Amino acid sequence: MKALTVLLLVVFGASAQTLENAEVLWKAHRYVEAGKVFEALVKRFDKNPDYKVRYGRLLLERFNPQDADGLFDEALGIKPDHAGALLGKALVAAENFEGKAAALAKAAIDADPTLVEAQELLARLALEDNNPPKAIEESEKALKISPKALGAMAILSAVDLLDDKKDSPWLNRILAIDPKHGEAYETLGNFFVLNRRYEEGIAFYRKAIELEPERWSTHSQLGINLMRLGREGEARQELELAFNNGWKDKPTSNTLNLMESYKNFVFFETNNTILKLHKKEAELLRPYFESELKRAIATYEKKYKMKLDRPVQIEVYPDHEDFAVRTMGMPGLGALGVTFGYVVAMDSPAGRKPGSFHWDSTMWHELSHVFVLSATKHKVPRWFTEGLAVHEETAASPDWGDRLDPHTISAIKEKKLLPVAELDRGFIHPSYPDQVIVSYFQAGKICDYINKKWGFDKLLAMIQDFAKGEDTKDVIEKELGLKPEAFDKEFLAALTEETKVIVEGFDDWRKKMRTISELAKAEKWDDVIREGLAIRDVYKDYVEAGSVYEFLSDAYLAKNDKPKAIAELARYSEVGGRSPMLVKKLATLLEEAGRKKEAAAALTRLNWIYPEDEELHTRLGELDMADGKTEEAAVEFRAAIALKPLDVATARYNLARAYRGAGKQSEAKDELLLALETAPGFKPAQRMLLELTKEEIKK
Amino acid sequence: MAAAAKMGRGVKRLTVLGFLSLASLNAATYYVTIAGIGGEPEYEQRFSGWAKDIDKALKAAPDSKADTLFGPDATKVAIRAAFDRISKEAKAQDALVVMLIGHGTYDGADYKINLPGPDLSAIELATILDRLPPKRQLVVNMTSASGGGIEALRKESRIIISATKTGTEKNATIFARYWAEALHDPAADTDKNETVSALEAFRYADQKTAVFYVTQKRIATEHPLLEDTGKGEGARAPSAENGEGMLASAFPLLRLGANASAARDPEKLKLLTKKEELENQIERLKYEKAAMPIEDYRKQINALLLELAKTQAELDQ
Repeated sequence: MKALTVLLLVVFGASAQTLENAEVLWKAHRYVEAGKVFEALVKRFDKNPDYKVRYGRLLLERFNPQDADGLFDEALGIKPDHAGALLGKALVAAENFEGKAAALAKAAIDADPTLVEAQELLARLALEDNNPPKAIEESEKALKISPKALGAMAILSAVDLLDDKKDSPWLNRILAIDPKHGEAYETLGNFFVLNRRYEEGIAFYRKAIELEPERWSTHSQLGINLMRLGREGEARQELELAFNNGWKDKPTSNTLNLMESYKNFVFFETNNTILKLHKKEAELLRPYFESELKRAIATYEKKYKMKLDRPVQIEVYPDHEDFAVRTMGMPGLGALGVTFGYVVAMDSPAGRKPGSFHWDSTMWHELSHVFVLSATKHKVPRWFTEGLAVHEETAASPDWGDRLDPHTISAIKEKKLLPVAELDRGFIHPSYPDQVIVSYFQAGKICDYINKKWGFDKLLAMIQDFAKGEDTKDVIEKELGLKPEAFDKEFLAALTEETKVIVEGFDDWRKKMRTISELAKAEKWDDVIREGLAIRDVYKDYVEAGSVYEFLSDAYLAKNDKPKAIAELARYSEVGGRSPMLVKKLATLLEEAGRKKEAAAALTRLNWIYPEDEELHTRLGELDMADGKTEEAAVEFRAAIALKPLDVATARYNLARAYRGAGKQSEAKDELLLALETAPGFKPAQRMLLELTKEEIKK
Repeated sequence: MAAAAKMGRGVKRLTVLGFLSLASLNAATYYVTIAGIGGEPEYEQRFSGWAKDIDKALKAAPDSKADTLFGPDATKVAIRAAFDRISKEAKAQDALVVMLIGHGTYDGADYKINLPGPDLSAIELATILDRLPPKRQLVVNMTSASGGGIEALRKESRIIISATKTGTEKNATIFARYWAEALHDPAADTDKNETVSALEAFRYADQKTAVFYVTQKRIATEHPLLEDTGKGEGARAPSAENGEGMLASAFPLLRLGANASAARDPEKLKLLTKKEELENQIERLKYEKAAMPIEDYRKQINALLLELAKTQAELDQ
């Protein structure tokens, strides 16, 4: 019958431009033709909101949410309470994990209380927020509107299965109504992936495909998640299948492009690590990443009292866009690194502006996820695993981790922090622009607070509870002996006390910083020092461009007071300042003052922030040489060579010096000859070659 | 066949290099640095600062003959006067380096550098340069839109360096900052022969300019070119493959002193000749590297490098 309809349409009515015509073409997967009919309808009946809404829904399904949203807006311009348009906008917002999705879906229901799809969306959003009771309540409302609401049943089955029930009666009811309803299993897959339970998610995608082999959206999701877990062969097959059958959304095409670029990556394996680096930076980054990877794993094995049962894979992307593809469709990510079970993908330091990204802190953060996800079998609320990972950053080194930023100060001041039991919402469906960042900070501070008051063992016990499937409310009460509401009260009181000076003084601080900036421009250095010292400790954490430490050090240098300039820059570095320019300035001043060990320590910090700097490695190598640390110097000089310097001869000569210092005469001679091959007339290298040759003859 | 052809070109390059490095020791190099108007105090300061940096490096070199014009002094009349002086003084075997800093414009037909008063066009500059005695000339145009001047300026025996690849790259450039740095930084002398060649300075400034845009996460708005064949469009990466850079590699932009003084000592001239012969053998061997077993190559080059080191040690005594 369906085939006949399409045939008739082709023969007699291909040019007919009616809504029915468009809908039939859409149903027949003839999307381009359907779009053309909709386009004509929308033009001809530009005051009809229904056509705009249906056209918008087609565009939304065919990967064009932006234009779809525009059509929904146009429909609302004609009829402000158009339920379909409100639902359309809610779906667009939900696709982007925007906080306004729920309000829009609710408005759609208010406009049309029989709109079951809007009610189902409310249930989905509640479960995305990790709020199963609300998800059940919203699903039941949908079932009251329509007892055959399959979407609502899928949400209810997800609630059951996420709670580790072996089966769900809702699945049987779905299959009784539609035995080939793959969508329900795709929904399950999506929820398990959202909860970082990738293996189970993949199993549900497979089941969906089993029921509906031509469900291309599921093939795409299966491919993306197989790729996330490093199973690239099958991932590519699934993605190509989806793509070749018209499922050409951004995640599918971008992931295929990313996989194409994998030929430019190299792998380095040890017994418990796999490091995947781009060929162009592998030589430089490998020593730093490998040593820190080992150190972090050893630290966490001790801290979390467990061993990982398989190697951890770290993928480092120099092109931020490649990394972004890895995180596509994932809500609430800090977008520096992401963990998929035992696979961690992260930006390379080269992918970010120097000083804006602490790669080592990010790696330790992600590795904490690997342990926590493994220990809980991925059954851990978002706030807890993020909070613990943030806690681990500053536990590894106090100058790591993110500083208290102005957005978070505002959130504290305006009392926008969420109760602990609802904190996941801040990550998944943020309701204001910086809520994800604020939620990271809050979650980190909660874990800091628990660690400080109850000790790290309590955090370990909480991990065990989450592993058993217990929820946040129960875990807080069980381990901390407090109702979540009481915990919130206590925690907020402690945080308020800790941040009191800056929260109360922030507006004044900002005004005074403007004044200091003007004074510095006018080179009124005494005034800069007086005003700077007066406000320096109000907001110690501010280490971004134009920090008070920078103004003060400039002022002291202008007055030729180098010790005080050093003190301010050292304070900047200790608090967590990351500008390579300022840290190198500190190192220069320390060197000039004869404090070479401190200069080396200052520069070493930059290796964990922005190692893609030839000058850094050369200077650090020289300081190591001066300190007799020839092995360490060799590491730095090798890094300088890996950066393909213009002056290759000097770089190789430096390495030869380090080798010679370490008693490695043969390696030293090899490097010298390579230096001289580039610059045959390089006198220092020539002299050392003659010396080494004489020494060889003596032997 | 391809390898043989490549090797042939290498040998030719070495011949040129050897001739110039000895012959040019007794020739003078004339420098004219012009920093045009900035329009805004920030640019005025930047342009004149770079011009002063260049001037400082040039005047630190022995027997320097440098004219540097910036700010209100960089007028077309003053520029003509500077070239007139060179016209009277210089000889054919001397070399001339002209460096332009500032804002440039290109209207699709001709390029101009913005000066106080009337601007100077590339066609006008080419006419002036054509009449000067020095045959070996280097024009380093570091202004915005400088790529638009290549066609008018290019000529046999004249090396053209531009900060931008076309006349349509109109944003203010940073290349001049790193060109000035190349004249101060020993790292620019990558072959350590105590002379910074035009090619070495180009590569230094080009790489630093690229790093500047990468680290600032900004889209590069300048793409430096080098043209020294007299008929090409210029190349981003001069090499034997694209035929650009041969002249520039043998053009001594700035001497660091030691070679010049050695040449004036007849006792050491023999050693100097031997040294240059060894350098030529090394260069030749490097070109043959791809066509020979690596062990043989290593053995031969190591022996040559050791011999060269011994010769240099004798020279330095």
